[in-house]
Amino acid sequence: MQDDLLTGAENTWCPGCGNFGILNAVKRAVRTLEERGIGRDRLLMTACIGCHAKIFDYLSLSGVYTLHGRSMAVAQGLKLANPDLKVVAFTGDGAGYGEGIAHLLFAAKRNADITVVVHDNGVYALTTGQRSPTSEAGFKGPSTPHGNEEDPFNPLVLMLEAGATFVARGYSGRIEELADIIASAVEHEGFSLVEVLQPSVTYTNDYERYEATVEAIDEPADTLDGALKLVRDRERLYSGVLYRADKPSHGTRLYGERNPVVDHPGRDDRIERVRTLVNG
Amino acid sequence: MSRDVFTYLVGGKAGEGVKKAGSVAANMFAHMGRHVFQMDDYASLIRGGHNFSVVTSSTREVTSHYMGANLVVALDERSYGMHRPHVTDEGVMVFNSDAVVDGEGVGVPMTTEAGSYPNPALRVGVCGIAALCAVTDLSKDELADVITREYRHDLEDNIAFAGTIYDHVREKTDKRFELAHGSDGRRMFTGNEAIALGAAAAGLDMYFAYPMTPASTVLHYLAAHDEELGVTVVHPESEIAVANMAVGAAAAGAKVMVGTSGGGFALMEEAFSFAGMAEVPFLSVLSSRPGPGTGVPTYTEQADLRFALGQGHGDFPRVVASPGTVPEAFRLAAEMLALVWTYQAAGILLTEKHLSESRVTAEFDPSSAAWAEPVAHSGRDYRRYALTEDGVSPLLFPPSPESIKWSSYEHDEAGITTELGEDIAAMHDKRDRKGAALTEHLRRIPTVNRFGNDGPLILTYGSTTMSVREALVAGGIKARVVQPVYLEPFPLWEFADLADEPAIVVEQSSTGQFAALLADRAGVDATDVILRYDGRPFEPLELAEEIRSALG
Repeated sequence: MQDDLLTGAENTWCPGCGNFGILNAVKRAVRTLEERGIGRDRLLMTACIGCHAKIFDYLSLSGVYTLHGRSMAVAQGLKLANPDLKVVAFTGDGAGYGEGIAHLLFAAKRNADITVVVHDNGVYALTTGQRSPTSEAGFKGPSTPHGNEEDPFNPLVLMLEAGATFVARGYSGRIEELADIIASAVEHEGFSLVEVLQPSVTYTNDYERYEATVEAIDEPADTLDGALKLVRDRERLYSGVLYRADKPSHGTRLYGERNPVVDHPGRDDRIERVRTLVNG
Repeated sequence: MSRDVFTYLVGGKAGEGVKKAGSVAANMFAHMGRHVFQMDDYASLIRGGHNFSVVTSSTREVTSHYMGANLVVALDERSYGMHRPHVTDEGVMVFNSDAVVDGEGVGVPMTTEAGSYPNPALRVGVCGIAALCAVTDLSKDELADVITREYRHDLEDNIAFAGTIYDHVREKTDKRFELAHGSDGRRMFTGNEAIALGAAAAGLDMYFAYPMTPASTVLHYLAAHDEELGVTVVHPESEIAVANMAVGAAAAGAKVMVGTSGGGFALMEEAFSFAGMAEVPFLSVLSSRPGPGTGVPTYTEQADLRFALGQGHGDFPRVVASPGTVPEAFRLAAEMLALVWTYQAAGILLTEKHLSESRVTAEFDPSSAAWAEPVAHSGRDYRRYALTEDGVSPLLFPPSPESIKWSSYEHDEAGITTELGEDIAAMHDKRDRKGAALTEHLRRIPTVNRFGNDGPLILTYGSTTMSVREALVAGGIKARVVQPVYLEPFPLWEFADLADEPAIVVEQSSTGQFAALLADRAGVDATDVILRYDGRPFEPLELAEEIRSALG
């Protein structure tokens, strides 16, 4: 029987790619969310461009396959227009931490009520292996044959400083934990970021390293400083929900309980409103 | 020029209340039932420099300001020097005698008098209104009424100060202009306000914008009236975010609009092409300033025409139209929002600073505005890009049990990425059929304005249409004016009878982009192309001279 969460589109990820783990975790999270009352009819997704984004073609959820780096902005538009929706923006380390990082930072700053799942494999895989914002110094790719002359930055530190109210890290090799994280992230009201450590079998085969260094924690840090300490650790890569805070979301602060596509004035009402303004 | 045309010009430094004095004067004329055209000339700064506001009014319709003024009020030395030549033969110059030594005209110690009150520098603009009331023979009580109506702060001091200036002017000149009144008071709107109201009347749900002059006042107006209108206004981090958020909101069913000037539009171009592929109903306002680059932010030009027509990489239907007047801006904003929703198309309402920011007396009938309503899907088995006869696939919005997939990739009917040759060609054909349907739609509605029945042919568009029409009145020139409102799809069918006629083209660009478009699309071979590209709108009397010399 065909999986009702899949479209049936041919899967073209490399065998062994970390993206399979993410897809399976997302499917599991969708079923968990359904059990908890968030149906797939109102669970939408957006994706940027890159290997990560093929998840858009594979998953049967509604949404928008956007441009490179823009899934976070499009997701915010969907959510602002209809706050009854839950929106997951899929992105990669190139799209999310490079081309579209302004959208990511501002989504965190304004506590946009969306979930961003970053497939971080430390490389531009679909475009044949160039270095990404999270590639280590010395990384050799077709655009840096002499080795990456830049150091990577720490995206989770950036997200915490920008105001993210939910920051988590998962590993594509641990599907159950990742599924729980994603479900909690979607349930969180406000901006949630899920950084997924995802080996690219072809370019960055990090399975061994991650198996040895990723360590689950049970509870988020109590404070922002505590969370920053967790994400700055380069020896142990802590996974799980690392930070969580309560704060009103962007839409609530912008227009309260209104829903722009549900509570909009009909034609006659609108004409009267315009007439009132025109006649002063 | 008709003798009942009265022009008022007030100039000074930014921060002195020059624009305010212009607006108050304009409101006074409108209140009298006169037709008014107000043009503000200001620099991109907050304090200092030189600003002026010129307000032409008449008992007949006026579609431009005139630079020849019956009353010039110069608040500083630079304004005195710059605007002395603008005083007409029967006109009067009222100047700040604290700033101008040995000036000709009516010198009033404005700075000294303002010094008796707090914040003297911010108060000087009031002199412009006091002088206007003095020479148009209004009483001091009427002056006090105007001040009370228009200046909300510090009323007592402002009324006393205005009264003092009024006395100075009355004492030093006998000049009195009697202004004829119309029957009813009139309301004034800028082009940007008309665009905002027109889009709202058509069902606009959300407006996304990043500030950029001369489009910013659409943002400010909608933000100020968001709750009254029921429009949600969002100001994100960049034009890129603006355009992409708008795409997302449209996919959730919100009627969206974005607005910017040329540079901001360059950043939105990526998303414009995305909207073309994903078939997102996407309406944008492009209000031009002189370019290229940062250009001249607060001045006017029509050099983004080619940029607008060619927006976005790839083949897809675009709709570009440009309003010629403030009422047309209202009608067109509504019509275009409806069009982009009917055809799921990307559209540009192209305008310029001269229309966006000029304030004119105008009337709109909101109930005549178009209403945006997409073709809706019902039932099961939804396919976002279903192949249909006219290329328009019905829309469905979440929440829904159906899978609704919008995509920037080439896709199949379900919205799944495809690289199959037959799919690619089929989707191109579908979008092209939609473009053809859009063109057919335009054939059934007015797309070109024609003014005048005989005389030589003048072609123009956008805000320059107002300048041309006023120039013909001012110069007593008989001519036919043809103004295409829709520029893409180009209304070729309207030009069948015009192609072989000698024509004069008038536009505000240095290379004649509009003339080139007419030659390319309609085979119009212009005998003369009258261009202005110094950032200033055409002046009617000067333009009348240019038209006359082109006619030989």
